[in-house]
Amino acid sequence: MKNMHKLAAVAQIKWLCISRNSMMMMGPFMVIAMVEVCKVLYGIKSGGELAPVLTGFLLNLGITMNICGDGFVMVGTTIAEEKEKHTLRVLMTSSITGMQYFIGSILFPFIMLMAVNYIVLFISGIPFKSVPMLTFFVVSVVVSLTSCVLGMIVGICAKNQMNANLIAYPFMLIFMMVPVFGNLSEGLHRISGFLFTGIMTGMTERIAAGEGYVMTPADGLVLFGELIICILVFLLLYRRNGYEKD
Amino acid sequence: MEQKVLLSLSHISKRFKTELALKDISMTLFRGEILGFLGPSGSGKTTTIKIITGQLRQTGGEAMLLGTDSTNIDASIYEKIGVVSDNSGIYEKMTVWQNLSMFAKIWQVPRARVEQVIGQVGLAEHAKKPAGKLSKGQTQRLVLARAVLHKPRILFLDEPTSGLDPSTAVAIHQMLLNLKEEGMAIFLTTHNMEEATKLCDRVALLHEGEIVEFGSPKDICLKYNRSKKYDVLLNSSEELVLEQNPENIRRIAGWMEHDEIACIHSCEPTLESVFLEVTGKVLNI
Repeated sequence: MKNMHKLAAVAQIKWLCISRNSMMMMGPFMVIAMVEVCKVLYGIKSGGELAPVLTGFLLNLGITMNICGDGFVMVGTTIAEEKEKHTLRVLMTSSITGMQYFIGSILFPFIMLMAVNYIVLFISGIPFKSVPMLTFFVVSVVVSLTSCVLGMIVGICAKNQMNANLIAYPFMLIFMMVPVFGNLSEGLHRISGFLFTGIMTGMTERIAAGEGYVMTPADGLVLFGELIICILVFLLLYRRNGYEKD
Repeated sequence: MEQKVLLSLSHISKRFKTELALKDISMTLFRGEILGFLGPSGSGKTTTIKIITGQLRQTGGEAMLLGTDSTNIDASIYEKIGVVSDNSGIYEKMTVWQNLSMFAKIWQVPRARVEQVIGQVGLAEHAKKPAGKLSKGQTQRLVLARAVLHKPRILFLDEPTSGLDPSTAVAIHQMLLNLKEEGMAIFLTTHNMEEATKLCDRVALLHEGEIVEFGSPKDICLKYNRSKKYDVLLNSSEELVLEQNPENIRRIAGWMEHDEIACIHSCEPTLESVFLEVTGKVLNI
């Protein structure tokens, strides 16, 4: 690909920005630590062996926290930080294209989301033989990408980091809380089926229950449909004002 | 020898809703020239730079940047130009070296060039320091170093010494003159008339989006030097401002003959006073 060096430079800049932000770097470790601690505590309470419903719950909690808490926030606030510190315009007037900035911005967060999804899967206690690895990979890729694109939308709309957090919170509440508490309410469970995070948690619940998971057309429609909608919304916003409104 | 035109503006205008920000701006910038755009805040200087560099679309007229219409330029144009705006940011958590080396990667500039530029701006000893810990003057030098890292053919500077201490401003002026010697064309916006007089080969005085005077600082000042005056300081500490007329010429000649003059200066108008005369407004606001 032409100009790969530019893409690599943007990705490296983003990595340096994220890796020097202790709040952002704590997020993934918090998710992993929380799943591990909960596993130990539930294990002590239930005499060592975790019931499938509990491993499913841990997996759901870890993955949704990772996708929503880290995905939106990491991508959105780094763009907002660039606006706040006036480095975004510098980057965009240094021959970086919008596409290079987009890919460079989501590359590291995407890899990190994927890595944490797998770590949480491995530490949750779900037996690997019951995990359809290819389906888990595909769903994980689509969900992580959607989260990153949502983060780009947050970043494009936000004026500064504080503003980015304010914009991200409603997304976070809907996409994280609805699937996590879907088991407590029939209404929430139904809504969860229309959310990309809900499809992910639905899959993990079935895997944990040992029922296996095959993606239904409806699940695929929600997963890929929401990714496409997010990309379209992003493109619409980008075409109107670019990354930064003048 | 024919001078090479790197930038030409032809009847540029810009309207923001009902406000006409730029009116019929025309000019050219040659290789190895420093062109100053002089005007108070809000006169349209930054808008002009944004139009030329493709960050804003003009309402009318044509801007040709390195042979390309500014409405058709893409991101690749930034490989040939450098832009320093009044609020160009730096990555505060990265070191000075990282701030430059990241952009060196974007422009595929060798490491030796980064070392050269960091030395030229006097930041070599701060290379490993986080950029957020630099002083304002050092930060501005870093911003300038980044803008010239890829040896652009045109450098756009929007108020480059605004708010800097005099010694840092002088260091930046020297750097700009060195770049000019290397053949770089510099488009400089400022409201500092002393800076413009010192650096610019030609200046455009901008008032409410319109060029009210254009030419070399010297020519503009001489054009408005209608009533010639001399500031004379005598050995007796008496200071006089004398108009040029036969009587005063005789008085000055007499003082000179008797070695009574401590110093004498002609009182041509400055760009500041020319601006005041043309627009009725002061420049340094």
